Amino acid sequence: MNLAELKVGDVAKVIKLDITNKKTRRHLLDMGLTRGVIVKVKRVAPTLDPVNIELRGYELCVSRKDLKNIEVEKVYS
Amino acid sequence: MKIALVGNQNSGKTTLFNLLTGMNAKVGNWPGVTIEKKEGTIRGTKNKIIDLPGIYSLSPYSKEEEIARKYIFEEMPDVIINIVDATNIERSLYLTTQLMELDTNIIVALNMADILDSRGIKIDIEKLQKELGVKIVSISALKEIGIDRLIKEIDNDNKKIIKRIYDKNIEELISLIDVDSVHKRFVKVKLIEGDKRFKKYNKDIYVKRISMCSKKYDTDLEEVVATERYEFIEKVLDKCLTLKKQNNNISEKLDKIFLNKYLAFPIFAIIMFLVYFLSVGVVGRSSSEMIASLVDTFSSFVSGFLKDIGTSEVLNSLIVDGIIAGVGSVLGFLLQLIILFICISLLEVTGYMSRIAFLLDKIFRRVGLSGKSLIPFIVGSGCSVPGIMGSRIIENDDEREMTAILTPFIPCSAKLPIIAMFSTYFFKDYSGIVAASFYFLAIFIIIISALILSKFVFVDTSDLYISELPLYKLPSFKYVFKDVFDKVVAFIERAGSIILFCSIVVWFLLSFSPSLSYGVDVENSILACIGKSISWIFYPVLGEDNWALTVSIIQGLVAKEQVISSMSVISGFTNSSGMFSSGSIFSSITPAAAYAFVAFNLFSAPCFGALGALRRELGSTKKVLKVVLFQTIIAWIIAFICYQVGIRIEKSIISVADIVICIIIFSILCFIGIKYFKNKDNKCNSCPFGKTCKQLKK
Repeated sequence: MNLAELKVGDVAKVIKLDITNKKTRRHLLDMGLTRGVIVKVKRVAPTLDPVNIELRGYELCVSRKDLKNIEVEKVYS
Repeated sequence: MKIALVGNQNSGKTTLFNLLTGMNAKVGNWPGVTIEKKEGTIRGTKNKIIDLPGIYSLSPYSKEEEIARKYIFEEMPDVIINIVDATNIERSLYLTTQLMELDTNIIVALNMADILDSRGIKIDIEKLQKELGVKIVSISALKEIGIDRLIKEIDNDNKKIIKRIYDKNIEELISLIDVDSVHKRFVKVKLIEGDKRFKKYNKDIYVKRISMCSKKYDTDLEEVVATERYEFIEKVLDKCLTLKKQNNNISEKLDKIFLNKYLAFPIFAIIMFLVYFLSVGVVGRSSSEMIASLVDTFSSFVSGFLKDIGTSEVLNSLIVDGIIAGVGSVLGFLLQLIILFICISLLEVTGYMSRIAFLLDKIFRRVGLSGKSLIPFIVGSGCSVPGIMGSRIIENDDEREMTAILTPFIPCSAKLPIIAMFSTYFFKDYSGIVAASFYFLAIFIIIISALILSKFVFVDTSDLYISELPLYKLPSFKYVFKDVFDKVVAFIERAGSIILFCSIVVWFLLSFSPSLSYGVDVENSILACIGKSISWIFYPVLGEDNWALTVSIIQGLVAKEQVISSMSVISGFTNSSGMFSSGSIFSSITPAAAYAFVAFNLFSAPCFGALGALRRELGSTKKVLKVVLFQTIIAWIIAFICYQVGIRIEKSIISVADIVICIIIFSILCFIGIKYFKNKDNKCNSCPFGKTCKQLKK
């Protein structure tokens, strides 16, 4: 399953980053979205995009399109 | 010694910079406030300190981040102060792991250490220092704690111990590579990551070794390096950080309201409405009338005094009708501007800006902009120049240029006097609403223009949105006060220099005829001659051939408040008691023409200052000329529509209700139109845009 499929409040572990755009991928890696990291979906914008996720003790907003390419494993919801 | 301040975006670098130097550089609460490096001297020493734009890593994504990376490499600072946000330590240390690999002394300034307790976090600094191998000083830039210790540490030679943070495959690879650079370890890691910027250090044999190594992993080495950096940090923090209990803070509760599914947009609209309503509607009317009467008294006093001491009529007229009328008319709006500046400053420091970007991203993306475009727009409501420069935080080039071009459409503080004067006089009790309507008109026009530009000019927009959402902060009143004070001083300075100079020029052009004889009727003055030759351009917009308004519009190029100043000087020449009362050249203006006139001034070419900033951001004069043409044409069209609709409302041919319904129908059509094109993107044949289409050009 991918990160965009998670619902608000879900907690998941990142398995793989399938992002073809190198710049975007690098950016997300630098922001701490690496394999094995635990992320929580905090909030979705009223327009449904972008999504506000929590990881490594801070909050990050990422567009849904990019989240679709991040494979995750749900830990609990 | 040269010292560089390096840290994540929004980690408090500029606050620390201000403390260390005693300056008042701009701070805010959104990622990317500092967009250019700033230099200062640490108080009490001769050490130079440079505040760099915030970066998350030494591989930059946007223009302003490139500035920081370049500085670290090319200017070779003696010491790097790496400011780390203690409340966000895990991600902040990621940059530290990169800086550690450079051959430069670094000191980690652990900022906001004072609020750790309230968050239930405890950090063992001694241990952390040992684990990372660098000097750490805990400080609070906001409460000014630990600053003196930090200054002392700079002079100590803090040798760092290089830590081997990667697994054995990569560490082995590092020991096998040799590069000709001061920052050996750093460049080696960059080669392993495959960073193209460091290609010149690479050799064929290394390329082979690196690709051999990468076969041991199921992904590329760039990801491996990033992951292992974070794993190292996790390990270190496990030893040094204890989390008592997660404290659900106020930010969370505030976001439940401000980012609420249903309330978020109404709250945003109300906040923006209030900003304009407060500054123009409530405070505006009484204060500007009060100051206007003060200026009147002052000018008649000066005039009497000058007569008494026997100055000539020409000089008397220059001082009273030229300088006092011109400069005074602009200063009359000072109180309104103070309110506006306070509102913008509060929006900036509290952290609401990042929320607005988050909220509006999808809507702005529909028209080819980014949610981040909103930050330059709001900064631009103070002044377009920092707004245009602020567009650098946007990663995508096309989105960035488009934002820079559209930023001047937002009414800046110099346009506020124009809005305030016309809406107060012509719409009396509704002045606040009318003023706010200009703001919403601006947003509407920006969206329409963006839609046009992204379809035909800037086709390479992306869907990228990666941004940190900072916590809310209580504004520092000391900073807000200083910030507003600085802006007010700048405004007064402008009134005392540019406006003063222009007022004298306008006075001269009004007092003399083309054959340079003094004391002619205004209608025969030089300025009138110039105005009359081009006033036909504005006939469809103003409903009359008014040379005085025409020349005032053109003077807006120098500074937008000059429009008011010029009108005030001109009306002083026609014997009337007030600017719009009978006998004045402006007495024939109708509310419709007034609205159209303001609209034209809002959207037409910005002042020279903003054009200079645009020139810097777009990189070519030709582009700027095109922009000016685009903006002026748009402005004329909008003003034309405003006048033609307005005049029909005045004559009761159509009613306000008709307009509202038309706007609703139009928006629905737009919405359907956008939806339609979005869906048909892949089927080019049925699309009316044909070859000019975004997808096809790609």
